[in-house]
This record gives sequence, C-alpha cells and structure tokens, in this order.
Amino acid sequence: MALTDWNIVSRSMTGRLFSTAVTVLSVGVAVALMTLLLSMKASGRAAFERGTGNAQMLISREPSALTSVLNSMFYADAPGGPIPWADFEQLRDSYPFAWAIPTQLGDSYRGLPVMATTTEFFTAFQPAAGESFRVAEGRLFEKPFEIVLGAEAAERTNLTVGSVINLSHGAPRQPGTHVHNEFDYEVVGILGFTGSPHDRALFTDLESSWTLHAHDRRVDQLGDGVKTTPADIQESDKLITGIYASLGPRTAALTQVLSELRRDPDWTVAQPADTIRGLFSIVSSVDQILVAMAAAVLVSSGVSIMLALYNSMEQRRRQVAVLRVLGASRWRVFNLVLTESAAIGLMGGAAGVLGGIVFGTVVSGILEARLGLVVRPSLPVDGYLAMVLGTIVLAMLAGVAPAVLAYRTPVVRHLRPIG
Amino acid sequence: MPHDPALRIHDLVFSYPGAPKPVVKVRHLALAAGEQAVVTGSSGRGKSTLLHLVAGLMEPDSGEIVIAGTPLRTLRGSSRDTFRGRQIGMVFQTFHLLHGFTALENVLAALMFSTLPRPEHKARALSLLERLGIDRPHAPADELSVGQQQRVAVARAVACRPALVLADEPTASLDPENAAEAVRLLQESCRESGSALVCVTHDRSLVPLFDRHESLDTLAEPAVQGVS
Repeated sequence: MALTDWNIVSRSMTGRLFSTAVTVLSVGVAVALMTLLLSMKASGRAAFERGTGNAQMLISREPSALTSVLNSMFYADAPGGPIPWADFEQLRDSYPFAWAIPTQLGDSYRGLPVMATTTEFFTAFQPAAGESFRVAEGRLFEKPFEIVLGAEAAERTNLTVGSVINLSHGAPRQPGTHVHNEFDYEVVGILGFTGSPHDRALFTDLESSWTLHAHDRRVDQLGDGVKTTPADIQESDKLITGIYASLGPRTAALTQVLSELRRDPDWTVAQPADTIRGLFSIVSSVDQILVAMAAAVLVSSGVSIMLALYNSMEQRRRQVAVLRVLGASRWRVFNLVLTESAAIGLMGGAAGVLGGIVFGTVVSGILEARLGLVVRPSLPVDGYLAMVLGTIVLAMLAGVAPAVLAYRTPVVRHLRPIG
Repeated sequence: MPHDPALRIHDLVFSYPGAPKPVVKVRHLALAAGEQAVVTGSSGRGKSTLLHLVAGLMEPDSGEIVIAGTPLRTLRGSSRDTFRGRQIGMVFQTFHLLHGFTALENVLAALMFSTLPRPEHKARALSLLERLGIDRPHAPADELSVGQQQRVAVARAVACRPALVLADEPTASLDPENAAEAVRLLQESCRESGSALVCVTHDRSLVPLFDRHESLDTLAEPAVQGVS
C-alpha cells in the first residue's frame, strides 16, 4: 500500500469532519431542491395532461373554462351551474358530436368524489389519449345503485366487488353534506390504474344520483321516512354538471362548433388540453423563479465550499509547506485542493440528486393522495448526471481561490518552528 | 553519479531584501557521499536559511549549489521539487509531521515522491520505523511522544535514500540525554541509507558527536574549508 493524493485529500476532509459534512449538506440541499423542481416541472405537466385525455371539449355552466376543467376533470371541487337534462339533449342534438358524455358531480364517499355518468364514459372517453379505461375486476354498472371504483379509490377504501356502501350527498369538505343510509350501492367493478385523477373517483349511473336528489326534495316536501325510487324522479331532479365531448376525427368542424358555443352565453366551453397548457404557462413563470432561487442557493453553497476551504487553508499551509519539502510541486498542491472541492461537489451532488428523488417520491405521494395526480418526478439519466457534473464543476470553481492560496504558500515562512 | 560529492557549495551569498549585509555567505563547502558534518552558528546567523537555500526553497543572490552532481540553478519549478523529493531529506526542529496522519503515513508521504516502486513503499516505511523503535506505526503521529515523533521525522527524511539529509536544530525540542540519542539515530539512519548529513545547530554540545565540524563564521572566510 502506498499513500496517494486521494489519501491526503480524504484525510484532509475527515480531519475537518464537521465543516466538510456541513458543506456537503448545504450543497446537497441545494442540488436536491434543483433536482426536485426540474423533475417535477416536466412530469407535473405530463400528469396534468393525462387527465384530459381525448376530450376535445368540456362543456359546462361554470364561470370559467379553467374552473370547469379543474372541477369536472380533476375533481378539485363540486362544479357549480347545474345543467338540466333537456338542455343537454338539445345541445347534443344540435352539433355533430362523435360523443357527448353527461357527467354529474356533487356526491362523495369517504372524501372521494363520486361521478354519475353513462357507460359511454368508459368506452368513448380515454383518460390519456390512446389509453382506454380497463375493468380490472368485476364489470361496469348496468342498473341503478351499482358503483364502480377507480383503482386508487379501491386501494384507499379497501372495498372489493360485492361491498355495499352508502354515499354522501355533497362533495368532500362541502358544508351540509349528509350520508344517504337509505340507499345501498353495490360495488360491481374496479377499474385498472390509469395514472389520471379519475383513479380516485367512484362511478355510478345518473339515475341513482337523480334518485338521491329526488329523495332530498321529497323529504323537504313530505317529511322524514318517505321512500324514494327511480320512478319518483322528476324533470327538475335530472341535472348534470358537465359534458365531455368530442367531434372525433372531424377536427375541421371543431373551430366552428367552438365558435358557436362560445357565442352562446349559456355555455362555458373549455378545450381541456389547451386550458391546462394555459395554466402551465402562468405557472411556468413561478417555476422559473423557483429554479432561479434554487440556482441561487446552489451558488451560495458554492461560496460556502470556497469559504470552508479558504478558512481551512490557514491551518493547512504548514501541511502544504511540508508536502512541498517532501517533493510536491506547486501544481500538485493546487490539484489536491481542487480535488477536495470536487470531492465535496461530488458528494453534495450525489446526495442532492438522491435527496431530490426521495423528496420527489414524497411529494408525488402527497399529490396522488390529495389530488389524484400521478406525478412521477424523474429526469433522464443524463439529466441526473448533468446535475452531479454541474455541481462538481461549480465546486471546482469555488475551489480555485483556496487552491491558488495553496499554490502560492510561502514554504519557508511556514517551516518556521511551531510555538 | 556515485563519485559526485553529495553537496558542493561555491561562493554562496544570500541577503534578505533591505538587510545591510548578507545573512548567508559560504565560500566553499563540499561533502562527500555519505559524509556527516555539523554546522554551528549562533541564533540569527542564517543556519536555517542556509538549509533552505541548499534544499532549493530559496534562491541565492549568487554562487552555486550542486547536489549529487546536479547544479540546483539548472532546475526550476516542478523538476526542482521532484529532485528535492528524491535527493534531499529534511528534519526540522519541531518535526513538522503531517497532522492527522499516522506515523506510517508520514513516512509513506515522503515515498510518494520517490523512485521506489509503489508496492514496496509500505515495507520500506515499516522496516524503517521498526528499526527506529516505533512500535505503533498506525498510531496518529500527534499521539506519539516527542522522542518518537523525532524518530518518525528521521524515518521520513531518509525514506527515499536521498543523497543528502538536512537537519535543522534536530535536538532543540529534546533534553540533552535524548538529544545525543536522537543524533546517534539520525547518523545511523543516514549511514544505512547512504545519505550525507548536514546538521545545523547552535548547540555546541553536539559537535563531539560528529567527525566534521564547520562554523558559519569559518565557512564565510576566503580560505577553502571542508573536504572535496
């Protein structure tokens, strides 16, 4: 075994363990922040785009297109502006839709949203373009009071096919929400994982939902204890909150249909993918500020490397002088210091990238649990390597000043007797 | 070159900037290969400066220093550092061992710059430390007694089998009894390594321990001193 330059460098770092650890930590935190932001930026957008799928239009009576997309496709809140069924039928028959799927939101189960719709929702609408819904277990609903669970909803509620549940009338966290114990829903199917917000929803038919509304109306009119069946549904109970629509391949007609619908003050029309892109164009300036802040933190951690090494040089100049006497050239001691700063950069960079991945996993778990957004923060391998290499380069730049100090160490002055 | 003197100095003059007269003035000094000499001088007479000039750490105003046949003036930058690492060993008054390194690593540090094949470094360092009575080669050098630290410094100086070992007040940190023992070890180690030894000191009690004695005052005189 012979001593190597690396032994000298590592001994120098372990000799100042606390200072080295703090410096590595500060670099690591900055790199982790940068990794998290960059990886979330790309995958966050992709995750949002997954929910909109192949719906060319979302038609509602919400105050804005963005609100309508966030509420009806991402289940952010209960949509406002109910649409009478007759209006939906008139709309459907007025335009050359390939499909127009009515949806109604406003009920919930243990904090999860319940969407009332038709089975066309599972056959025509694709949550991600080119990827249809898949029934993982059981079947789709065929008659009132049958319910199908999204993959995550099944996971979170531990319900299985055959389970019987009671829904709450009212959206999650909405005041006045009450449980309809008088209506039992049977779980008849569980959907496969789609990686979209629809995974955390439960799906039932419109007639069941309207029956719940009819029951509330009848309780108001006739008092508690009244029994309600689908036969009691009146026209005023038949409300929906949104329409997922597509013209199919007839994209040439899309501009005209959109133009006509937008002229009609009764309707709010969103192009979901464009709306999300618009949202991201607003958010991207915040993104850029965050990335700039992370870069500033990274630069400041570079300064901390420089200060840590520069301060330590005062104590190490005797060591440098001794190494010079033993035969080390000026350039060799310069490189020793630069190697040390690169090593700190490597450790901080690697720890930061790992930390960023861990943070990302935690954040994606929270997003998935709270919003149903499947964000898998990741960068290409090249991206991670570039982060580590960039950190090493930054650390080496920070090491130049201390390395110059080592290079210029006056050997004779530092060989004077100690004490 | 086996027949070259280990050290030859001609008309060496060095002054610190602004000083009224030279601090080092050596008309002639030559040391045969393996020869050992003590150079005495009172404090502030330039003993350490002379060693720094010989080690190529400072530039003389004039004169020539030749080590093992190589004039120092022909070497610049890293080639001079490499030459120093291979041909010159140094022992300091306060040893200047590498802080945080073990006794063994301090000797290995000197061997990093030698021509000895790397696989042989450890064996060479361990055998030197054993011969010098260091029974804890893996102990941090800072934790060794002063006497043991001195021995580690000697082992480091001779590890590369240099042509010349320069000792700067090597016994100043030791009591008289240990000082004589330290000089004996230094002399023995240099003999075993085939290295010449120049020991500078203000301590005249060391003079009887050496076959040859020079004083800075006589070296500055015009008459040729020393052995060629």
